[in-house]
Amino acid sequence: MAIITLPYKYLELLTGVPKEILIERLPMIAADIERYEDDHFDVEFFPDRPDMFSTEGVSRAMRGFLGIETGLCEYFVEDSGISFSVDDKLKNIRPVLGSAVIRGLKFTEESIQSLMGLQEALHWAVGRGRGKVAIGVHDIDKVKPPFSYIASERSRKFIPLDFDCKMTMDEILTEHPKGRDYAHLVSEFERFPLIVDAEDNVLSFPPIINGELTKVTTDTKNILLDCTGTDEKAVMVAVNIICTALAEAGGIIQSVEVNGTAMPSLKPSERTVSVSECNRLLGFDLSPREMAEMLERMRFGAEPDGDDKLSVQIPCYRADIMHDWDVFEDVAIAYGFDNLKAELPDTFTIGKAHPLQKNMSAVRSILSGLGFLEMMPFTLSNERVMYKLMQREVPDYVLPVLHPISEEQTVVRTDILPLMMETLKINQHRELPQRLFATGDVIHGKETFQKVSGVCMHTDADFSEIYAFFDAFMHELGIEYDVRESEDGAFIEGRRADVFVNDRLAGAFGEIHPQVILNFDMDQPICGFELDLRVLQTPEE
Amino acid sequence: MELTYNEKRLLAVLKPLKDAETAKQQALAPINSTVNDIIELRNSGMNPLRDVLKVLEDTKNIAINPIRKALILFEEAAEDALGPISHMDRPGVSYLARIMDTPEEAVVQYAGLLQTRGLCELHKKVTVSYNLTEEGKKYAESGLPERVLFESFESSIPIKDLQAHPQAKLGIGWLRKKGWIEIKDGVVEKVSHAPVGDDETALKNPEVKSAGTEELLKRKLIEERETTEFWVEITTEGEMLVETGLDLRMEVKTLTSEQIRSGEWTGLKLRKYNVKTPPKRIFAGKKHPYQNLIDEMREILISMGFTEMYGGIIQSSFWNFDALFQPQDHPAREMQDTFFLDMTEELPENFEAVRDIHEFGGSTSSTGWGGKWKEDKAKQCVLRTHTTSLSIQYLKDHPDEALKVFCIGRVYRREAIDPTHTPEFEQLEGIVMDSDVSFRHLMGFLKEFYHRMGFENVRFRPAYFPYTEPSVEPEVYVEGLGWVELGGAGIFREEVTAPWGVKYPVLAWGLGVSRVAMLKMGLKDLRQLYKSDVDWVRETPLYRSEED
Repeated sequence: MAIITLPYKYLELLTGVPKEILIERLPMIAADIERYEDDHFDVEFFPDRPDMFSTEGVSRAMRGFLGIETGLCEYFVEDSGISFSVDDKLKNIRPVLGSAVIRGLKFTEESIQSLMGLQEALHWAVGRGRGKVAIGVHDIDKVKPPFSYIASERSRKFIPLDFDCKMTMDEILTEHPKGRDYAHLVSEFERFPLIVDAEDNVLSFPPIINGELTKVTTDTKNILLDCTGTDEKAVMVAVNIICTALAEAGGIIQSVEVNGTAMPSLKPSERTVSVSECNRLLGFDLSPREMAEMLERMRFGAEPDGDDKLSVQIPCYRADIMHDWDVFEDVAIAYGFDNLKAELPDTFTIGKAHPLQKNMSAVRSILSGLGFLEMMPFTLSNERVMYKLMQREVPDYVLPVLHPISEEQTVVRTDILPLMMETLKINQHRELPQRLFATGDVIHGKETFQKVSGVCMHTDADFSEIYAFFDAFMHELGIEYDVRESEDGAFIEGRRADVFVNDRLAGAFGEIHPQVILNFDMDQPICGFELDLRVLQTPEE
Repeated sequence: MELTYNEKRLLAVLKPLKDAETAKQQALAPINSTVNDIIELRNSGMNPLRDVLKVLEDTKNIAINPIRKALILFEEAAEDALGPISHMDRPGVSYLARIMDTPEEAVVQYAGLLQTRGLCELHKKVTVSYNLTEEGKKYAESGLPERVLFESFESSIPIKDLQAHPQAKLGIGWLRKKGWIEIKDGVVEKVSHAPVGDDETALKNPEVKSAGTEELLKRKLIEERETTEFWVEITTEGEMLVETGLDLRMEVKTLTSEQIRSGEWTGLKLRKYNVKTPPKRIFAGKKHPYQNLIDEMREILISMGFTEMYGGIIQSSFWNFDALFQPQDHPAREMQDTFFLDMTEELPENFEAVRDIHEFGGSTSSTGWGGKWKEDKAKQCVLRTHTTSLSIQYLKDHPDEALKVFCIGRVYRREAIDPTHTPEFEQLEGIVMDSDVSFRHLMGFLKEFYHRMGFENVRFRPAYFPYTEPSVEPEVYVEGLGWVELGGAGIFREEVTAPWGVKYPVLAWGLGVSRVAMLKMGLKDLRQLYKSDVDWVRETPLYRSEED
């Protein structure tokens, strides 16, 4: 999640509204306030609104939401006369470049931090960890246009940001902290992306690190923006968001010619939406004029176009507007979620429980009646607990999880009895006798189905006890079953039985093998059963 | 507190004994005084006895015979009541034990308890007696070894010869110690005529303490034995209590079927229990408290007209992500967040519609995500990260009827276990599809559901989820915590519903059930739900009142 630091003073200056009102109203345009500090507060914005990842962007939205300044923000773009060429060899490496020049900035330490914060948040939300988009800002007065975005030899040397000696690009990947973090994005390529000026000075090694030469400081007045990446749409979103934020901060935006095309335009896009569709979706009764007003508070341009249509201008920084309904959501936000009247529809429906849940409810009810206490162990387990400690073979239908998070959780359970043993182990010092059960999903291969297992632990736990319980359980389920001598290593020979229902193996019960009890670090007699609940023949939903 | 049966029995025995004692003293009083008078008369010179009695009958008007008669009558009466009376002077414990047919220790115990209530006095007398040891018995017969030696020779004997005597080993030492002999140049000479000592006197009569007793104890020829004798005496309070009447029926602990059938129960005195004594704990077999909460939620939804659905925990990425318009490069689809499986599943019919939606919006007003949608990525199986994967499949199968469906199921996220995170947890998911349902209806359902869950105050805030638009985060007010975010909701995007021809808007909401459990059960650690302490499950009541 993107957590943005908003300094009270700067935000109050940009909006002209005291911080108390901002703090109260901000959550109603989709934000969670994380914490308050003396001079700033930290706010979490949703990833669909990267235009809110800067104080300038938040101020723009809040001015509209609070009715101080509504409607579309228009941004003017001058021509910088600067060109930028893109090397064809980058086609399979990192082909897309977006750029702009921003002049007349007055940086303070705080505003530099804010810009870096915006950059980092965009790297995360739009850039997908710099893979899709990586952003660089440079003091343009330190270098000489035109600029070139090239695929360079890996042995090329330059001084990376925050270092004082030249390094090759290969060295940067192994020795610079940013190099190590992002090496995986380029290491497979023979050549690396590089941005140089007319005199072959290095500005940046995207998406890894800028050069020290063009570092932005409080003396910087004019900057060059580079956004490189693999996805043109995402790259331009990043360019638009940074340019419009800096324009809000007082910068003059100038276009750059990239391979012959001038960018950015910062022009809104157009979308015509239906007022009645919006009213139907939200349960509103707004006129086209009212709806337009709502949208203007969300900084859209909006003009009624006939009885039912609204012509909407979408600001270039609103990357999230993909569909008409995205526009409708903003109408609801402008209206205020707290002003919406909740109501229930009239349609009559009859509720009903799922047959499988009914089965498990019956199982719980029967076993509770027999004195068993329910447990709800994890469904993730491991082969050691599932099979090795149980003296059982690993079956071919076991399903290992790729990249497990711990050794404890490497497979989805295929049985529940081993987890009951684990549960007893945790609880072995609690008062005996203990009679526990669990029921729920297991998997065999891709198939999910349900099992139930029960165990008894106390000094007299034996085969007769579990047979009696199991028999009573099956009687209550109304299932006729047959037992045969079992070979299951989890139980003691001669004190174990396989359960057959309609000639199909459906479970087992018996006295747990002493070695298995010891394997689970216990020392009390235990008996248990397990049953496949597919014997309950649930009609398919 | 009431007296026990045994305590009452003891009191009931003590009372007549006391009465008998008193009667005896009264009966004996004139005899004693008469005897004293006789002694007095005789001292003054009257004799023989006949004259004396004559004087007594004349002067004191005392008849000897009636006194004797009264005494006999009393003794008979006492024997009738209590059996043979040996020592009438004071009721010893052994005597009481015999009457009550109970061990002496028990009588002492009952008497002790009665004494603490001031109903009787328990007296104790310790007497010391002496018994001969095995060695002592031998010497009592033969005489002490020094005496035997002393008498075995005349006035002198060579030491060598004396040493040959069987008693020499002990005897020579004592001969010298008592100064009866002297030994010079290997010859033993008598120097005393050996008077009989206190030790020898005591050895003849060892039971009685005398001047020689100490000596014999030292020589381990006798041993000391302490015997404690108890006797019990009823107090005035005890007597008063007995006079008010005691229920002396035998107490019965268990009522038998035989007693009920025969009518014997009418005369039975059943032992009363102390209701303040707590019983031994027994534990109910029951549902897990968390399952109980899940079932409460299921009942609420069913009562609101929702049909329950159920589905597998293994899903293709197609149903878990793509069909829900999650872009293929979404961070949730990386292996850091989701459990992937080494398994693929074929894409369903009409998957192309989903592909088109992703790439350019398909037939909708959407722009789509752009880029190329990859089939292989959609085929990869995962442990479902939400039950929404079941909802969309349900909609695919029921695209054109009004429906209300829900499911509570386990979902998986690749998170390390800590007090507030577990890699698997329950999620509640509800969807409503109907003609003309709107965002306000969604809020209506959410409010109704949370109210029924016991959350009075519900509010809504804008939110973002990839598959809903508009999206909303409901928050509930919890005393002590303030506003707590409890789930997410929205209307399924057209990008989600369009590929399956879903006819009406679909309201959807999801909720982390374990979060509700933490709020409702006051849990600090989620692990308690899945790695439960048996004691916690035993102690947590099954029933929770509505106010909780």
